Amino acid sequence: MGRYLVYRLLSAIPILLIVSLVSFLIIFLVPGDPASEIAGPGASADEVARIRQSLGLDQHVGIQMLAWYQRLLQGDLGQSILLHRSVTTAILERAPVTLSLACLALVLSVGPALVLGVVAAVRQNTWVDQSAMTTALLGLSLPDFWVGLVMIYLFAVLLGWFPTGGYVELSKGMWPWLQSLIMPAAALGLAQLGLLARITRATMLEVLRQDYIRTARAKGAPERHVIGRHALANTLIPVVTVIGITVGILLGGAVVVESVFALPGVGRLIIGAILRRDYPVIQGGLLLTASIYVFVNIMVDILYAWLDPRVRYE
Amino acid sequence: MELTRRELLVLGGAAGAATLLSVPAQAQKRGGDVIVGTISAPPTTDAQTTSAEVARNISLHWIETLYARDENGNPIPDLAQKCDISADGKTYTFTLRQGVRFHNGQEMTAQDVKASMERYGKVGGSAAIMRSVDSITPASKYVVRVVLKTPVPGFIDQISSPRAPLGIMPASEGDKDRNKISHIGTGPYQFMEFKPDSHVLLKRFDGYTPNANYTRRDGFSGKKTAYFNTVTFRHIPEGGARAAALETGEIQAVDMLPPPTADRLKGNRNIKIYPVMPWAFQTIMINAAWGPTAHQKVRQAIQATLDCEETMAIASEGLYRLTHGWQHPGTTYFAGDIGKEFYNQKNAAKAKQLLQEAGYKGEEIVFLTDSNYKNHHETAVVASEQLKKAGMNVRLNVTDWPTAFNARLKPEGWNLWALGFGIEPYEGPYTVAGYFTSEYGGKGVQHTSDPELARADAALNTSLKVEDRIKAFADFQKRFFEFVPGIKVGDLGRYQATRANVAGYAPGRIPRMWDCWFE
Repeated sequence: MGRYLVYRLLSAIPILLIVSLVSFLIIFLVPGDPASEIAGPGASADEVARIRQSLGLDQHVGIQMLAWYQRLLQGDLGQSILLHRSVTTAILERAPVTLSLACLALVLSVGPALVLGVVAAVRQNTWVDQSAMTTALLGLSLPDFWVGLVMIYLFAVLLGWFPTGGYVELSKGMWPWLQSLIMPAAALGLAQLGLLARITRATMLEVLRQDYIRTARAKGAPERHVIGRHALANTLIPVVTVIGITVGILLGGAVVVESVFALPGVGRLIIGAILRRDYPVIQGGLLLTASIYVFVNIMVDILYAWLDPRVRYE
Repeated sequence: MELTRRELLVLGGAAGAATLLSVPAQAQKRGGDVIVGTISAPPTTDAQTTSAEVARNISLHWIETLYARDENGNPIPDLAQKCDISADGKTYTFTLRQGVRFHNGQEMTAQDVKASMERYGKVGGSAAIMRSVDSITPASKYVVRVVLKTPVPGFIDQISSPRAPLGIMPASEGDKDRNKISHIGTGPYQFMEFKPDSHVLLKRFDGYTPNANYTRRDGFSGKKTAYFNTVTFRHIPEGGARAAALETGEIQAVDMLPPPTADRLKGNRNIKIYPVMPWAFQTIMINAAWGPTAHQKVRQAIQATLDCEETMAIASEGLYRLTHGWQHPGTTYFAGDIGKEFYNQKNAAKAKQLLQEAGYKGEEIVFLTDSNYKNHHETAVVASEQLKKAGMNVRLNVTDWPTAFNARLKPEGWNLWALGFGIEPYEGPYTVAGYFTSEYGGKGVQHTSDPELARADAALNTSLKVEDRIKAFADFQKRFFEFVPGIKVGDLGRYQATRANVAGYAPGRIPRMWDCWFE
C-alpha cells in the first residue's frame, strides 16, 4: 500500500505539469487580456496598450511561461493581476468558504442519498421506491441556480429564516455561519443527492441478488443485519467513487451557486479570473483543481481497500 | 484673462449657485451602516487607473478631484477654489481650497496636486489627457500652475471626468505603481477594506472638510456630508438575489435593478425605485475598413434599415428613450435636429437601393457582440435579424466581453460591434468625437479616418470660444450621419433603488452615499 501511494503521488507530478502547461497555453490562445478589463468598456486602444505594457503582457508567451514555471518550482503561484494579492493568498482567502460549502453540501446529500437509495432498493417497485426515485430525479433535473433562487424567495424573502446571500465567517458564530451556508449547500447538495440516491439504489439491487445475501438470509440473519452489514458495505464501492467525483466538483468550486448566493468562493474566483483574463489566477486555480482531483482519487483508492479487504495495492 | 472664465461658467463653473437638487426639509441623522448591492467587484481599487464603472462607483466616495461634474454633468470646482485660464488658453492656474484634509490627517497642498497629476500621466485610466501638459508647478502652498503645450479647451472637462478620476492623493503616493497605493483621499468616506467577490468597506471620514462654497450636494461636487457610519459595497452578481436582498432589507440600496424586477417592486412600500434616464447610448460601431462595411453606402443601408424602437425595447427591457443626438438633450453641445432624418428610418426600400448602388452581393457581414452585457447581446440579435430581412448576409459572432473587446481592436474580422456608450457622452463632446477620430493614429474605432470628421474634431479641440466648439460638434454630428462610422440606437436607462428608510438619496451616475441617511 505504501509503495502504491508513493507511486500514485509521483505519477501525479507529470499530470499536474501537463495540466499547467495546457492551461497556460490555452489561455494565451483565447483573445483578450486583463488590460481590457482594467481599462473598462469603451476604453481606447491606446489606454489598453499602455496597461498591457505596464503589466508585462506585451512580452513573448515563452518568456512569460518560463517566468511562471520558475516561480512555480519555488512554490509561488504568482501575483493576481486584478486582485492585488498573491494567487496563493487569493485561493486561501476563499478556501474556508468553499470548504465549508462543500462539507455541508456533502453532509446534506450523502446521508439522505444513502437512506433514499437503500430504502428504494429494499422496497423496490412500491410507492416508497417511486417516491424516493422521483425525489432523486427532481434533485437531478432541477438546475441549482433555479433551486437557489426559489429558496431565496421562500426562505429569505417570505419567511425570513435565512439571509439572501453573503458569507459569514465561523469566527462570528456558529449559527450565523450555518445560516449563511444552509441554503447554498442545500441547493448544491440536491443534485448530488439525486445522483447518489440513484446509484445507491441500482448498486443495492444488484448486491441484493448476490448469493451471499441469499446465504445470509438463509442462515436466519435479521433483515436489518443483512442490509446494513452485508449489502450496504458491498454497495459502497461504486458509491464512494461517485462521492469522490462529487467532492472534486464541490472543492473545485460551485460557480453558479456561489454567484446566486454571493459567496466569495474558489469557483467564483476561477470563473471571474477566466472572464477577466487574470492569467496567474486561472493557471493557479486550474492547477489547484487538478490537484484536488488527483488527491481525491488517491483517497478514494485508499477507501476501496478499507471498504473491501479483497482490494490490495501491491 | 479673468480667472473663472465666462466660458467655463457656461460649462458649469457656477459654483455657489449650483444647488440643483431639492431635498425636502427632513431631519438628517448621522449613523447606521448602509450596504449597497453592486453587480460585480471592481477590477481594481486604484481609483486613478481604471475607467471601469464598478470601480468609480466606489472610489468617488473616498477620492475627490480638482473639478468635478455637477448634477447636469458640467464641471464645477471641487478641491479647487477656482481656476484662472490665460488668454492664450495654455496656462491653467488652480487655486486650491485651504484646510482640506487627507484621510491621514495631512493637509492637501499644491505638491500633492502636482504629484497626483504626474502619477495620473503614468498610470491613469485616461492618461492621454496629461499628454498635452508641458509642466506642473506649485506656485505656492495652495496654487498650482499647469502649462499646456497647446490650448486644450476641454482640459477642465477632462480632468473633472469621473471616468477614471484624476483623484488627488498625498504626494507620498505619487511614485507608487499601479495598485500599490494606500487609498488615501480627501472624500467624505475613507477606504477600509476590499475583499474580492465579497465587498468593499468604507468608513465615514470625520475629519472631512465640506466645501463651504456650496450649500448642498451637486453632482460629484458641492457640499458633501457623510451621514452613514460605514458604506459597504457588496457584490451580488445575480440580479434576482440582489433584488431579494433589497426586499429583505439586508441591503439598503442597489445601483442596478433589472427593469422587470423594478416593475415588480414598484408597489412595494418598503422600497423606492429611481429611474435614471439617460444612462447610456446603445450604439452599433461599424468597421469602415474591412468587408462590405468598408463601402459607405452599405453603412448607410444599415442605418436606413434599423428599427431602433424594436431594438431598444428588447435591449433595454423596456427602459429606453429614442434620441438621435450624439450628446444628451439639454446639454451644451446637443446639436438639435441635425441628422434626425437618418435616425430610426426603418426604410427597407432605401436600404435596398443603397445596397444596389454599393454593388453588395450578399457578402458576409460579421456582427460582433458579447454575452456579458445583455444590452450588447440583445441589440446585436435584434438588429441582425432586421438586417437579414433587408437582404444582408449577417453572421452573429457572440464571444465573451474580453474576446469581443480585443477583436474590435483589429481592423479585420468584424463589421458591426454592439456597445453601450455610457460615460463618454456623459463626459461631453470631446470623448465622443475622439472615439471616431483619435484612436489608431486618427482612424477611430471604425479603423478608417475621415477628413471631415477629423476637421470637426480639430475645431472642437482647439477653438477657444464655446460657440465655435458647439458649431464644431454640430458639424461632426452632421458628417457622422453621412459617413456612418457608428449608429446610435437610442438611450438606455437604469433603475436604482433604496429601502424606503433611506432619505435624501438622489439618483445619478453613481449611487452617492453622501447627503443621504436613515430615517
